[in-house]
Amino acid sequence: MTDLLADLFSNFWVSLGGKLLLVALMIPLVGMVIGFAEMKLSAKMQYRVGPYFAGGRWGWAQLIADGVKFFQKEDIIPDDADRPVFKFAPILVLIGTVALLVVIPFGPSLIFRDLDVGIFYALAISSLSTIGILMAGWSSANKYSLIGGLRAAGQLIAYELPLVLAVVGSVILAGTMSMQGIVEAQIEAGYPYVIFQVVGFVIFMIAALAELTRIPFDMPIAESELVMGYLTEYSGFRFLFFFLAEFANMFTMSAIAATLFLGGYWLPGIPEDVLEFAGPIILIAKVFLLVFVMIWFRWTFPRFREDQLQGLAWRWLVPLAFVNIAVTATLKVLL
Amino acid sequence: MTSSPSETQAHPLRSFADRVAEAVGGTAEIHFDTVKVTVPAESWVEAHTTARDDLDLVFFSWLSATDWANDVQAGDPLRDEVEERVELISALSDLTDGRIVLFSTSLDKDEPRIPSLVDVYAGANWHEREAHEMFGIDFEGHPNLIHLYLPDAFIGNPLRKSYPLLSREVKPWPGTVDVEAMPGRADEPSTENPES
Amino acid sequence: MTIDADTIHHLSEVQVSVELQTEDMTLNIGPQHPSTHGVLRLVARVDGERCFDVQPVIGYMHRGYEKLSEVRTYPQVTTIINRIDWVSGYANEVPFIVAAEKLMELEVPERAQFIRLILTEMARISSHLVFNASYPLELGAATPLFFALRERERVLDLLESVTGGRFHPNFNRIGGVKPAYGSGSTTRKQLQDLPAGFLGETRNAMDKVLESVDQLEALVADNEIILARTRGVGVLPPEVAAAYGVSGPNLRASGVPFDLRKTQDYLPYDRFDFKVVTAENGDCWDRWWVRLQEIRESAKIIQQAVDSIPSGDLQAKVPKVIKVPKGETYVRAENPKGEMGYYLVSDGGQGPYRLKIRSASFSNLSILPWILEGILVPDIIAIMGSLDFVLGDVDR
Repeated sequence: MTDLLADLFSNFWVSLGGKLLLVALMIPLVGMVIGFAEMKLSAKMQYRVGPYFAGGRWGWAQLIADGVKFFQKEDIIPDDADRPVFKFAPILVLIGTVALLVVIPFGPSLIFRDLDVGIFYALAISSLSTIGILMAGWSSANKYSLIGGLRAAGQLIAYELPLVLAVVGSVILAGTMSMQGIVEAQIEAGYPYVIFQVVGFVIFMIAALAELTRIPFDMPIAESELVMGYLTEYSGFRFLFFFLAEFANMFTMSAIAATLFLGGYWLPGIPEDVLEFAGPIILIAKVFLLVFVMIWFRWTFPRFREDQLQGLAWRWLVPLAFVNIAVTATLKVLL
Repeated sequence: MTSSPSETQAHPLRSFADRVAEAVGGTAEIHFDTVKVTVPAESWVEAHTTARDDLDLVFFSWLSATDWANDVQAGDPLRDEVEERVELISALSDLTDGRIVLFSTSLDKDEPRIPSLVDVYAGANWHEREAHEMFGIDFEGHPNLIHLYLPDAFIGNPLRKSYPLLSREVKPWPGTVDVEAMPGRADEPSTENPES
Repeated sequence: MTIDADTIHHLSEVQVSVELQTEDMTLNIGPQHPSTHGVLRLVARVDGERCFDVQPVIGYMHRGYEKLSEVRTYPQVTTIINRIDWVSGYANEVPFIVAAEKLMELEVPERAQFIRLILTEMARISSHLVFNASYPLELGAATPLFFALRERERVLDLLESVTGGRFHPNFNRIGGVKPAYGSGSTTRKQLQDLPAGFLGETRNAMDKVLESVDQLEALVADNEIILARTRGVGVLPPEVAAAYGVSGPNLRASGVPFDLRKTQDYLPYDRFDFKVVTAENGDCWDRWWVRLQEIRESAKIIQQAVDSIPSGDLQAKVPKVIKVPKGETYVRAENPKGEMGYYLVSDGGQGPYRLKIRSASFSNLSILPWILEGILVPDIIAIMGSLDFVLGDVDR
C-alpha cells in the first residue's frame, strides 16, 4: 500500500495537486482556528465568555457557522463601483497570504517547496496584499473607503522597509536565504537566532503587525472613524476573504518569525528523526505563542494616528534596523 | 414683571443687582433669587460689552426669548392681560462666585429685530439661531442666521404662542384623562379632570 | 507644424507651469456613525488628512421640549425631562423641581434633599463611567469599556432599586421625592422609604466603583498610545470656553475651578467635603482625566451622605393639584455634562408658561467649529469624543 502511494506521489502532477489541495485546505482551517482563538482570548481579557453556544458548550463551531453565514449572504456591489477591480481585490489579498505558506518549513522534509530565495520570495509575495487593499479602497466608490485605502497604502509601504531590513540580520547569520537552510543553520549553531537578534525580532513583529493592519496599526480600518475604511462596501463572501486573509496572514507572518528567529520546527535536544513528525507541532506551538501576543496587543492598545504611525516607521524602526544589520555583519566577519 | 414678594431691601443679592443695573443703565429686579436687569433695546449690545469687560460676567450661559401674548393656540392663556411683546433674555455669569444675571429687553411683537451679540460673545451664535427660528427674531449682523434645529423648509416659529400644535387641535386642552375603568367597575371610570 | 530651430528655441523659452490641481473634499460624517454619540452630522471640508471647516448640523433629535412643557402640568413635565440627557437621567429632573419649589416657596424636607443628592451623584458616576469607558473605544482600545460598564451596572441597579428606572427615574415630586407606593385611597397608606439595605449596598457599590476607577486608570493612564493621541490635542483656552458657554468638566479641564455644586444651593452640597477637580492644559487627555477624578469625588460625597442621612419626611405637604404661583426664576445645577438650567416663567397655572431649558451639551457642542479648525481627521473623533455631549441634550 505504501509503495503504491509512494509511486503515486512521485508523479509530479499528482504531488502538485496534493500540495495545492493541502494549501487550499490549510488556509481556511488556520484562519478559523486563529479567529476562534481571538474570540476566546479577547473574551477572557474582558471578563466575558466569548462564543458559547455554537457546537456545545465550548462554542468551537462558531467560526464554521460564521463562514457558512458569510457564504450564503447576498452579493452586494455598489452601483458606482469598478466591478472587475472590486471583485478581484479580495482574491489578490488572499493570494498574498496563500503563496506565503509555500516556503514555510514544517519539518526537515515537510516544506511545500524549498526555494533558494525563500525569504526573499516570501517578503515579495506578501506585498501583493498592499495592491489588493488599494484596489479595494479605490473601487468601492466611497469616500471613506478611499481614505482608508490611501492610509493603508501609506502605512503598508512605510512598514515594508523595516520588515525587510529586520530579516537581513538573520540571513546574514545563517548565510543563506532558503528557509530550510536558515533552520538548519540554527540547528547547527545550537541556539535560535533570537538570542542575538532581539532587535531584529522586535522590529519584525512590530512591522508584521503593521502589515496586517491590526490594532495598534489599524488606521486603514479605524472602525470608529471610517466605519470600516477600505472594507466598508464589502459584504458576504468577499468580506470573508479579507477576514480569512487577516487571520491566515497572522499565522504565516508568525511562522516566518518563528522560523527566522525562534528556530522554526526545532527545539534543542530533540533528535532529527523525531523532528520529522514532531516538527509541525513545535512550529505551531511557537506560532501560537506569537499569535497570542498579537491578540493581546490588539485588545490593549488604541490605534496610532497616521502621522505617529509613519513617524514610528521612518524615524525609529528603519534606523534601528540599519544599525542591527551593521552590527550583525561586523560581528559575523570578526567572529 | 411684577416683583416677587421675597424682594426686600435686605436681599443678599440686592447690592450686586444695583451695581449691575447702574453699570449698564437698566433697572434691576430680584425674582426668587434670580437677578434680572431690564435694559432698553437700543443699548443691548453695549450693556453686554460693559458686562463682559467691567462686571466680569464673562461666561455666556444662554440666550432665548419669551412670547408674551394674550391669545394662545395651545396651553393656558394668561390670567391677566399683558402688553404684547417678545422679551429677549440673555444670561451671563461670572466664573468665580457663580453669580448669574439675566438681561432682558422688550422687542416689537410683530417684527422683532435687534443687533446680534456675536461680536461680544462668540457663543451667542447658536443661541441666536435658535431664537431666530423659534420666535422669528431677526438678529442684525449675525453671520449665519439659518435654521438650527428645524428642517430648512420649515415655515413658522414654533415657540410663539400663536403657533398651533396639531395634537392639541385634535384633542382640546386640558382634555379629560380617558382611562378605562377597572374591570368590574364600569360605573366609575376615573375621569380625573385636572381642572376640577 | 514643422519643428525647426526657431520652434525649438521658442518652446524652450515658454514657461510651462503645471499647477497641481488638488481639490478639497467635503466629507460628511454622520448622522449615522459609530462615534458621533447619537445623530450628529458634521460637514467637514478636508484637504487630504487636514480639515479646515467643520459645520455641525444638529436637530435630528429635536423633540420640542420647550413647547411640550407649555402644554403639560408640572408632574407631567417631570416625566419627560429626564429624557433630555438620557445618560444622567436623574440629574435632569432636579433643577426643574427646585425651580418650581422656589416659586411655591416650599421647604423641602432634609431627607428628601439628601436622597436627591445621593441619586444625583450616582447619575454623575454613571455618566462619567460611560464617558471614561467609551472614549478609549473611539481611539481603538476596546477593553476599558468592559471594566467600566461592569461597575456601572452596580450603580444602575441601585438606582433601579430606589426609583424603579435605570435611566428615566421620574422620582422627583414637587416638594420632595416620591413618597410611597400604596398611598392611594384603595390601599393602606404605607410610607415606604428607601428600600431596605439600600444604604449598605451603596457603601459596597462605592467601594467597588473606586476599585474599578483604579483599574481604569491603570489600564489607560499608562498607555503610551492613548497619551500620544490625546495629549496636546484639542486644547481649549479658558477664555474661549467662557465665551462659548462651555461648562462642567470641559471648563474645569482648562483650569477654571468653577463648580456649581460649590456656588449654588439647589442641593445641600455645602455639608460635604469634596474637591473641585481641575487640570492645566485643557486638552483631550485632561478632559478624560478630570472626569475620572470626579467619579472619585462623587463616590466620596455619596459615602459621606449615606453616613449622615437624616430621618424625616420624604415630601413636603403639597395640594393634590399643584398650581405654582406667578413668578419667574432661573435655577442652574451642575449636571454631569455641565451647567443645566431651567428658566421657569409661571402664570399661576398648572403648567409652565415658558420653560427655557439651558442644556450643557448644546453649548459644549457649539465650540466644535472653533476647535476643529485645522485639525487632522482622526483628531476630529478624538476631540469630539472628549467633549462628552449627548444628542438628546443638544437638541432637546
